[in-house]
Amino acid sequence: MKKILAQLFLLAAWELIARSGVAGLTVPTPVSIAQIYLEPRFAALLYRSALTTAGSALLGLAIGILLGTATALISHTNAALRPGLDRLAVTVNAIPAIAIAPIFVLLVSRDFTPTLLSAIAVFFLIYVAVSSGLHTPSSRLLDMLTTFGAGKWQRLLYIELPSALPSFLGGLKISVTAAMIGAVVGEWFGAPTGLGIVILNTMQNFQIPLMWAAVLLVAAISLSGYGLAHLAEKRFS
Amino acid sequence: MAAIEIKEVSKSYTLNRKESVLALKGISLTVADGEFVALLGPSGCGKSTLLHLVAALDEPSGGSILIDGKPPAVLRNQHRLGIAFQDHALLPWLSVSANLALPFKIAGRPVDTSRLNYLINLVGLQGFEQARPSQLSGGMRQRVAIARSLCLEPALLLLDEPFGALDAVTRRRMNIELQRIWQEGKLTTLMVTHSVDEALFLADRVAVMSGRPGSIIKIVDVPFERPRLRSEDFHKLADDLTALLEP
Repeated sequence: MKKILAQLFLLAAWELIARSGVAGLTVPTPVSIAQIYLEPRFAALLYRSALTTAGSALLGLAIGILLGTATALISHTNAALRPGLDRLAVTVNAIPAIAIAPIFVLLVSRDFTPTLLSAIAVFFLIYVAVSSGLHTPSSRLLDMLTTFGAGKWQRLLYIELPSALPSFLGGLKISVTAAMIGAVVGEWFGAPTGLGIVILNTMQNFQIPLMWAAVLLVAAISLSGYGLAHLAEKRFS
Repeated sequence: MAAIEIKEVSKSYTLNRKESVLALKGISLTVADGEFVALLGPSGCGKSTLLHLVAALDEPSGGSILIDGKPPAVLRNQHRLGIAFQDHALLPWLSVSANLALPFKIAGRPVDTSRLNYLINLVGLQGFEQARPSQLSGGMRQRVAIARSLCLEPALLLLDEPFGALDAVTRRRMNIELQRIWQEGKLTTLMVTHSVDEALFLADRVAVMSGRPGSIIKIVDVPFERPRLRSEDFHKLADDLTALLEP
């Protein structure tokens, strides 16, 4: 109850400040943003755009998780490949998304660039999370399994993979938001639709309330994804 | 069942390019089929290292270890080795019965539920089958670890300070239980311990080790009949052995 009151108070303060004009013309009032969501024309636009962006982010998340986990497993089971794969992951992560996006636009397509930028960000986070997770079990547990006659793959299956789960879920939590950032930034490079495009166009056309409505929607999607990942983390670890 | 033959075993670890440390030197010991031998010594004397060599977790630098005439890895790969460590090494995310089922899965055998029930009864954990290790006391976890070491009816049982982390009272009770369990189906056992009392209470023979480099300084036959009681003779022998351990 206290929380809700505090939030209502903040909203009211925002409304007053925005109305008074002390914060300038570019800060819309919460009421004008709410009106955007209620206006069927804008609501439909935001809904369509959100589906595209969330779809790109989700696909990027899935690709990133798959690639990151697979790479971590390869590097864990092949000691010879580990230094090289570590360096590859770090290098891929070191290239700013903004810098690599034009390459993707030419290489694949404008439609697919958001997904790829999401996937790259997620790939690195999941690679690091899974790699370190696979190293967590104590040598005692591994010795025990070895003594019972378990091979490398059985150790992976019975001990290392379950031990890596909490670390993976922690990585998933930050990956969800990284995937959304990748999708929105990717759309700026000329994707046909998406919340990133709405944000860009409204900025250029000075449609301030609509722009804020789109930004808040991005944040809401990110936060719901984060919340879901958080629930999964609590459930499994 | 299996007999162990350890001949002139040494083990050294390289510290850096120039230096190496000798952990074991000239260790010779035989454990007969069905015999219980305790490796007794102060911490750091290399007794756990020796047990690791017998478990094929490491290779000796010199000498040989044979179990029934073959290298230890052969027995291990046949899933005929049972082991229990000082820290129980139970998988925290599995229940007691799932932990006990693990050796069967590793060996690729169907889980023998009647054997599991027998072992759970043997170590007195009826009613705790579905409990997680974190819900058990230290002594109970150690009992699960011992039950797990017996799952596949091993030819050789290795115990690495299995009760080292328990309080004195629980440790005594566990010694009595282990004696009972061991008498139900005598199997070749090699146990590492730093407790003189525990070694004399459980073992047929006690190999006393001293450190730097680790070597066996005396092998003592324990003359007492089982089930053992801590009699006056028992304490006398314990005092003698304790004196041997003094640096």
